Amino acid sequence: MTGPLSGYRGIVLTQAWAGSYATQLLGMLGAEIIQVEFHGRPDSWRGSYDRPIPETVQNAPGAASEQHPWNVQPNYNSVNLNKQCITLDLTTPDGIEIFKRLVPVADLVAENFAPRVLGNLGIDYESLREIKPDIILCSLSAFGNNGSWRDVPGIGGTIEPISGMSSLLGYEDGSPLNSGQMYPDAAAGLNGFAGIVTALMHREMTGEGQYVDLSMQESSIAFIGDALLEERMTGNVRGRLGNRHMTFAPHGIYSTSDDSWIALAAESQGQWSALCRIADHEEWLSDPRFADNATRKTNEDALDAQISAWAAGQERDALAALLSNSGVIAAPVLDAIELAADEALRERGFIVNVEHPEAGGHPQSGIPAQFSNTPATIQRHAPLQGQHTQDVLHRLLNIDEPEYRDLFDRGVTGAGPST
Amino acid sequence: MVDLSTSVSGAWCARMLADFGADVALFEGSDGHPTRALAPFDDADNSVIAEYVLANRRSAVVDVEQADGRAAIRSAIERADVLVINKSSADLATHGPDHASLLQQKPGLIMCSITPHGSTGPRSEHPGNDLTAAALSGWASINGLADRPPLKPSGLQASYCAGTMAYGSIVAALLSRHNQPPHQGQFIDISEIEVMASTFSPALLNSQYLGEPQARQTKVDMSTGPVPVNDGHFALTISRPHFWRDAMNVLGLDDLADDPRWATSWYRKEHSEEYVHRAQAELAKWNKMDLFDTLAALRVIAGPVLETDELADNEHLRDRRFFRSPDEGGPEFPGTAFKMGASPSQLVKRAPKPGEHSVEILREFAGLDEADIDALIASGVAR
Repeated sequence: MTGPLSGYRGIVLTQAWAGSYATQLLGMLGAEIIQVEFHGRPDSWRGSYDRPIPETVQNAPGAASEQHPWNVQPNYNSVNLNKQCITLDLTTPDGIEIFKRLVPVADLVAENFAPRVLGNLGIDYESLREIKPDIILCSLSAFGNNGSWRDVPGIGGTIEPISGMSSLLGYEDGSPLNSGQMYPDAAAGLNGFAGIVTALMHREMTGEGQYVDLSMQESSIAFIGDALLEERMTGNVRGRLGNRHMTFAPHGIYSTSDDSWIALAAESQGQWSALCRIADHEEWLSDPRFADNATRKTNEDALDAQISAWAAGQERDALAALLSNSGVIAAPVLDAIELAADEALRERGFIVNVEHPEAGGHPQSGIPAQFSNTPATIQRHAPLQGQHTQDVLHRLLNIDEPEYRDLFDRGVTGAGPST
Repeated sequence: MVDLSTSVSGAWCARMLADFGADVALFEGSDGHPTRALAPFDDADNSVIAEYVLANRRSAVVDVEQADGRAAIRSAIERADVLVINKSSADLATHGPDHASLLQQKPGLIMCSITPHGSTGPRSEHPGNDLTAAALSGWASINGLADRPPLKPSGLQASYCAGTMAYGSIVAALLSRHNQPPHQGQFIDISEIEVMASTFSPALLNSQYLGEPQARQTKVDMSTGPVPVNDGHFALTISRPHFWRDAMNVLGLDDLADDPRWATSWYRKEHSEEYVHRAQAELAKWNKMDLFDTLAALRVIAGPVLETDELADNEHLRDRRFFRSPDEGGPEFPGTAFKMGASPSQLVKRAPKPGEHSVEILREFAGLDEADIDALIASGVAR
């Protein structure tokens, strides 16, 4: 693997989104990431074993004639690039024994089970430390590894409300909302990645491993921390602002003539003037309601009405280009298909086509960081379930073909539903 | 570590570096760091956002328009491990420090640029903020309701996400400098939009697999988010089969609990109109924390919508010592996003006043002697 983390190895039990995204970022930056998936209890983001495969997936370019539902789940395949996958039945002593043999050759272990699970399996931090004293373990859980809610389960859809995020997301006149997909998982993934590299740095400096305890509730609160601090400093409970900004106006998303939407904002008087000139509404410049940012903010409803009326007659992309090239903050609102086709993001190498042996070729979000000396690259599609079991066990543990066959026959490893 | 950034994302990256032990010097212009002008403000006119993202570092005010000022900053950079900036490539070429020449002169330097669109590519000179990051990353297209405008994530999500990605990338580059011969630094290019598009990756690939873009929801119901309860809102976004069974029993809907068709989430999603009205009618009778406590005892996932004052009083967060004041005093801050067992984060200082530490920083970071520092201050280049 290439990238700044080349040389590190993680044996990870991450699943679903938050944990998988954290370890995908490590893999994207060059670490060797081996996911250990429960044989017989798949990563929940592989979906259930009996879920129907949509026709569009069956007919995708490059798709295999034989597809398994658990290998063609877009959720799983979107957050497990640059990883290998082995399966072990960790409910059996043999499965746990093999997992424990992998720990000495790992720099880090990561997981996002409920906090009690690792202890039940006999592989909690203290147990791992006995095997490898400088091991790093990162746990991502709903509420963290202690406190009164330690054993309460949670997912992004419940963490978003209970972290305060939902209370801030919504239209000015509307009720609290959850985001269109479970954003707290993404935030936790970024923070889990950050926590693990911090632990690696500490180990390089001191030789000491450690336990990293990430609560999804807390990592979400950290990302609305200014609203929490506002309450502590001023007593004000922040509400929902829609697309508005606490300081600047205009700042919104407006409908355009081609049934699309444009985001635009002015954070300076220069940007406001440029916007008025481009809109051919120079009378806005002399309107006392819009004279400076403070008056625009006070009269934001009237301002938005004017801009909405004008934008409704404009084409999204042409207007966004004109405004952007004139130094005004503006962008088309891209949907997911447009995003994948975006030329600028492709030119930057961010959107990349990834060939998957069962699902076919599809554009995906790539690596959100570029390194001049240790370039990071997408080298692996999301693994098929158990794709690398035999290779990894042979390479790292010297388990030969007959021994692997025996494990397979006894159901300690395998792919798909347990038989 | 030298922080020359003027954005929330750069400031958040520097805050994380400081929280985990880096000695951070912020150089700000005579107008002050731009976050200082962001609402809301406390009674003493301190920006809450600046208090949050500029905490834990020292500040020098140095005029970059003056050659002496640029030289002092350059000297500090040459003595630093890490530099965080958020200037566009054109801006850097004009005003320095441009990364090619800096890295040539100081090969060990790790220089991280955080900008809306990255330092290269057709949009690199376009301005941007959290709103445009929401628009271009796909997030706005799926947040909110189908019959209302697309909705950006609340607040400063692109800034926090990009700052965190930048922090992790800087630490990765420090590890690479430590581990990989010839032990050099490098330039790291972070685009706020790409970080947000990375967090969007499941919706992107789902849309590709289905051949149509994921759309905003047509209505709010319990399958997608918070719905009304007696004293607020509550999300019962069920995942596993036993969560469904236990939750329906708690709501007194035993027929829904017992019917095996409802055990899988994809089936519930596709047939939600058959149950949501009944379940929501029962939910509306509950107070949010009573329902949460009842479900939590059964280990069922459940999400009462809490507001910031309720979080500040939250017993679990207090158990975890999540809130803490800086060592030197001040308001309670929400804690770090993760807890390090052996090398815990530190919150030593509140956000500095502009130029509060100019003399120390010019001495310790830039390596200037007292006479040079006096001259910079006397000429108004530093204050």
